Amino acid sequence: MNYKLLQIFRNTPFGRETFLQSLYFCKTIHAHPVVYIPESDKFLMYFPNDAIQIDLDSSYLTSPKTAKQHASELFDEMGFKPAFFAPRSFTASTLPDIPTNFDYFCCPRSVSDLSSKIGLGHIGPKVRRIIKQAPFPVLLTSPVFKPWKSIAVFFGGSTNARKALQMGLKIAMVSKLPMDIYTLREKKSKGYYENIIKESDLAGPVSQFLREWHYYEKSEFDAMLYDVPHDALIVLGAYGHGVIKDLLFGSKMEKIQSTVTNNLLITGPQCELSLLH
Amino acid sequence: MDDRLLLIIAGSIAGICSGLAAVALRLALESVTEWLHPFRQFWWAFLLPAMGALLSTIYLEKITREGAGHGVPEVIYAVSKHGGLLRLRSSYSRLISSFLTIGSGGSAGPEAPVVMSGSAIGSNIAKLLRLNDRQRTTLVGCGTAGAIAGIFNAPLAGLVFSIEVVLGKWEFSNIIPIAIAAVAGAEVSRAIIHEQVLFNHLPFNMGTADILPGICLALFAGLISVFFTKTLNTSGKFAKKNRFSFWMRAIIGGSFVGCIGLFFPVVLGEGYHFIQSMISGTFTMGIFLTFVAVFAKIFATAITLGWGGSGGIFAPCLLIGSLTGIVFHKIVFLLFDNAACASEGAYALLGMTGLISGVMQAPLTGIFLVLEITGGYETILPLIVVSAISSTMSHYIEPASFYFKELIRRGQFLRPGTDARILSDLNISELVSTEFTNVSEHMIFREFIEIIKTSDQFFFPVIDENTGAYKGMIEIRNIRRYVLNPGIYDMVFLNQIMDTGVLTASLENDLQDVLEMMETNNMESIPVVEHDTFIGMISKTRILDLYRRELIMQTSVR
Repeated sequence: MNYKLLQIFRNTPFGRETFLQSLYFCKTIHAHPVVYIPESDKFLMYFPNDAIQIDLDSSYLTSPKTAKQHASELFDEMGFKPAFFAPRSFTASTLPDIPTNFDYFCCPRSVSDLSSKIGLGHIGPKVRRIIKQAPFPVLLTSPVFKPWKSIAVFFGGSTNARKALQMGLKIAMVSKLPMDIYTLREKKSKGYYENIIKESDLAGPVSQFLREWHYYEKSEFDAMLYDVPHDALIVLGAYGHGVIKDLLFGSKMEKIQSTVTNNLLITGPQCELSLLH
Repeated sequence: MDDRLLLIIAGSIAGICSGLAAVALRLALESVTEWLHPFRQFWWAFLLPAMGALLSTIYLEKITREGAGHGVPEVIYAVSKHGGLLRLRSSYSRLISSFLTIGSGGSAGPEAPVVMSGSAIGSNIAKLLRLNDRQRTTLVGCGTAGAIAGIFNAPLAGLVFSIEVVLGKWEFSNIIPIAIAAVAGAEVSRAIIHEQVLFNHLPFNMGTADILPGICLALFAGLISVFFTKTLNTSGKFAKKNRFSFWMRAIIGGSFVGCIGLFFPVVLGEGYHFIQSMISGTFTMGIFLTFVAVFAKIFATAITLGWGGSGGIFAPCLLIGSLTGIVFHKIVFLLFDNAACASEGAYALLGMTGLISGVMQAPLTGIFLVLEITGGYETILPLIVVSAISSTMSHYIEPASFYFKELIRRGQFLRPGTDARILSDLNISELVSTEFTNVSEHMIFREFIEIIKTSDQFFFPVIDENTGAYKGMIEIRNIRRYVLNPGIYDMVFLNQIMDTGVLTASLENDLQDVLEMMETNNMESIPVVEHDTFIGMISKTRILDLYRRELIMQTSVR
């Protein structure tokens, strides 16, 4: 396993919590965190079909002289060898290009909107675009460092939900943590969802790692969110089709992030996943 | 749909849209210039460019959050490295910022912003239609051509600039859609503005007697081009080094330009009015002041673009070139009062070509642009001579043009079909051979001999059996003396014979760096190690295989 997670480092107490969460994520799934300490408040990410400019708020440029030292201390604290990313390509002199060949990306939450909205998150259009174009899953961390003890996969049967399930299984395999599936039914039987898993050749791993499969009626959406353990990593697919599209597209995504305090791992439509690698 | 037809249709849409953007900017600039004209007589008029630059930089830095500058290198970079991917916001951001800069009197031209805008329009049309990199690059070219054709009413110049400067490759499949986009852009411009040529003039009557002075003017223009390019770069670097905030820089730079403008109004704005008077032969400034005006315009443009303003260098090149031509003509007549040379206007024309060709090192663009904006087709032979000499001389002194200089310095100037471009399109992860048997550092040599017997590997990575960390490498050819000595089979551990000094690459390295490392150290293969973990080996043979495949793909006829 040589997965890499890119973290945009913010040299503030809040940034510290985010970074600790990323480090914990990496430790649990045996990935390597790589930190980018921004020198300007914007950078570009070139995806196969889109060039997205990320605009950070000024807090990302706080105390640049101590940023590397603070990041290194947190690396040490979690037992990682410090690894920093220095951009070599620039679209314009103030627009560094950040590569998109990482395996995971910890989304700098304040790119989503004003920092006042960070508390319980507000996924803005920019984060949506990253999720929509990214070939990697995006980690949206909880506001404070909170180790997670299980994996909760939101599965509604769509292609992206299958990707999320695959991602959940992959993490369960590596971390050995139990996995729960949460399904919001839309007048379909349990067999319908089980068949989807069988057809996707995921039945074997699911039976091996699944702790419990929770079913909810559509009207019980809020109840489902409250039932998810507070210390679970929620894995979900965005921009899916069918049920999951209704569930997660648009305001539902905001709803989930603003209701739960869990860490979220989001797989978008371009996300490339394999259980083997 | 057929690929070519699709590109022609999408290209013409890109051409129309970018033509509209160009016309909108041109009309907006004309209106604001007219509106601000009465205020230019007041003593505080020097503050106008400062206000414009301030608004422009605030707009770019705080609203669209893009860096200042003119944008053409960004387009070339996007084409070189990212298949022409450009942000949607670029399709309007530079139009607005350059409107604020130039409209208020900043010394810059509207062409580069419309190029940026047109290219971004082309790129985003391609994104909308989910086209591939090659098709997207063509549409970026279409947008560029439409924009230049629209702003100057010059379709040929649009086509040539797009291919010569932005795409860098004359390819049959590109030329047709780009030509059609250029025509579309020019037609949109003609339909709205109803003009035949940008600068009207009387016949120039150039003859054989003008060839020698033309050559001298070309050399002079070449020197001025180099000076202009260097001043532009120096100004930008100086602005970045000082400690002023971005808005303070804009105010200082803008005020300075405004002050120059109080004495030399010729430096303000895009200066088309003065170019027209020079071509028509009605420019009345004396030889000394015209000579000073050349440098005043150079400094004003360098400060405008370097200190936070937004705009392009096409129009300043045209103006500086015209002034250079006029100065040269005046000097010729000062020295030889009965010289049989053509008019001042003709020399202004030659100067323009010299400057455009010298600064951009794009001779064809210089020739066609000046021909089309003046309609002076009878001057084509001297124009070719001047353009060729000026661009050659400029290239001799300064190998990189203004547009390419920064990209070349950063090693990011990658033209299609070149080694650097092909290598940049390959990434290390697709070159790494991962089918390798690892051996443990505490393995005794006898066990290793058994592994060698059944393996065809030449390299064996040695790893720590507990952590899996990479420790070193055993190359078969380096351990022959141990293999032929069975007496030491049970006495030697692999950590005693492994080579710990082998250079390693990482997945983050550029392929060019890796190749250089292999060349410098005479290596046939190089281990790739990431976070202390052995990933695999990269061999020159594998690089050559994939290089050939990529080359065939990039150069095949489509």
